[in-house]
Amino acid sequence: MTERSMSLAELQRYFASAATSGSGALPDLDRVFTSSERLPARERLAIYNRAYFYRLLDALASVFEQTKRVLGDSEFERLGLSYVAQHPSMHPAVERIGRSFPEYLQSVATPGFVVDLAALEWARLCALVAGNPPSIAQLAAIEPSRFPHARLRFVPSLYVLELDPHALSAFAGVVSALPAGQPSARCGVAVWRSQHAVHHQSLEAAEWQALASALSGATLSRVCTAFDRGSPDEDVRRAFQVLSGWFARQWLESIVYQQATPETSG
Amino acid sequence: MHRAADPQPALNQSPLALPREKAARVGFGLRVPHYDAILSNGLRSDFAEAISENFLGRGGRAFSVLERVRSDMPVSLHGVSLSIGGLDPLNESYLDQLGELAKRIAAFSVSDHLCFGTFGGHYAHDLWPLPYTEEALLHVVERVQRAQDRLGRRLLLENVASYVQYRASNFTEAEFVSEVVTRADAGLLLDLNNVLVSATNHGFSAQQYLRALPRERVQQIHLAGHSDAGAYLIDDHGSPVPAAVWRLYEESVGLFGALPTIIEWDERLPELSVLEAEADHARSLCNAQLVRQ
Repeated sequence: MTERSMSLAELQRYFASAATSGSGALPDLDRVFTSSERLPARERLAIYNRAYFYRLLDALASVFEQTKRVLGDSEFERLGLSYVAQHPSMHPAVERIGRSFPEYLQSVATPGFVVDLAALEWARLCALVAGNPPSIAQLAAIEPSRFPHARLRFVPSLYVLELDPHALSAFAGVVSALPAGQPSARCGVAVWRSQHAVHHQSLEAAEWQALASALSGATLSRVCTAFDRGSPDEDVRRAFQVLSGWFARQWLESIVYQQATPETSG
Repeated sequence: MHRAADPQPALNQSPLALPREKAARVGFGLRVPHYDAILSNGLRSDFAEAISENFLGRGGRAFSVLERVRSDMPVSLHGVSLSIGGLDPLNESYLDQLGELAKRIAAFSVSDHLCFGTFGGHYAHDLWPLPYTEEALLHVVERVQRAQDRLGRRLLLENVASYVQYRASNFTEAEFVSEVVTRADAGLLLDLNNVLVSATNHGFSAQQYLRALPRERVQQIHLAGHSDAGAYLIDDHGSPVPAAVWRLYEESVGLFGALPTIIEWDERLPELSVLEAEADHARSLCNAQLVRQ
């Protein structure tokens, strides 16, 4: 086939292969692209090839800043370039390239707390760019008589993760090397945006359980069973304290009251 | 207080009906490192340009910045991921979100690049050059028309900087760009830095390029800096607008009149005051050229 007879589709496929190839220049470049003495076709295509990989690597680095710090620049670059080659972008926004990076790190046997650190940073990005909720629910909006059957609708910027606590220390810059000894018990972590800032916080076991339950659509009476420790006064106090905290942190978009479903007779 | 946005003409209106500016109107692009300063102090600008992908479907600080700026001045939307020349189907969800955002902020223009940037369902996040062939021309024109129909408004297409040329091309870049915008009834966002970079990299005359463009289709100007890699120029938007681009700007004002002009700066981003000074310089050059005319 001569270059003159190549279709638009063939030319674009050829260009994309050259620009995204991780294994050097393609054959026949000079038959497809013009060269000059000052700048041969091979070097011209190399400009696009470098730009492709390093733009995506930069996008990863901007999202996974702490992961990069813990891994070190050269290891992050090695893993990042390998990831980009295997997981091309599927989204018009470039930072979304990082969507599968935590799973990729896990697949190449990266220490667990670093995988979790990457998951935390990804959740923080998602919280940062999430759409604004149409409303923010207020604690005072709860109707006491309908409280047991109410369900909670959460804002789009709230994410709940299960992480190795060392990931939180690593994010804060306290841990940068592989922690010695047994792995720690995993903890629940909430990530959310308040006004323009992203926050995260580990959750004690009962709150984590209650939040998971509420996020799955359970009624508040069901959600509050997470605080059942056999001491009614203390359990209610704790449940109220936790739920109040969710409102205060603006995690809730609305309270949904549903009519009780009438029982049907057979 | 700045003037309200001039609405983009409806698709059935000829761009010839667009009034030409009587004085320079210059702005710059919204960039994340400037968001806090913008939220605190606003912008000193005639209008602003928002990268579409940085605002589609987003809330939080990005959207607050956009709302704050839009309350003070017109905003144009400039995309990088439409891939108008690509072979993958047009991303209709993307177009719908873009159209919704454009309506929500009453964007005074919606633009993207005359290039391709998708391959096999993937995004390159780069502006890859097209071969300038009859087949490519027909392909792009058809897609521009479909995108405009979906958006319900005219698109502006920007010429890209390039480092390669296809042997298969049988149009010059200026001919191809002119044919696309004319046949598709689109506008041209003329990036003068890109013209200079491509002219240098491929050995054509930037001045002749400008003179070959259809005057009535040129609707907006981009100015930016580039870096010199020795054997070629790189369009990196990482430095002040160089003298050679300012000279092209004066020439373009002579050819096309005073058009809305954006200063672009992406790499090694300076303080807003530096961009404001660049915008002031563009205003003074443009107004001086208008007086000379």
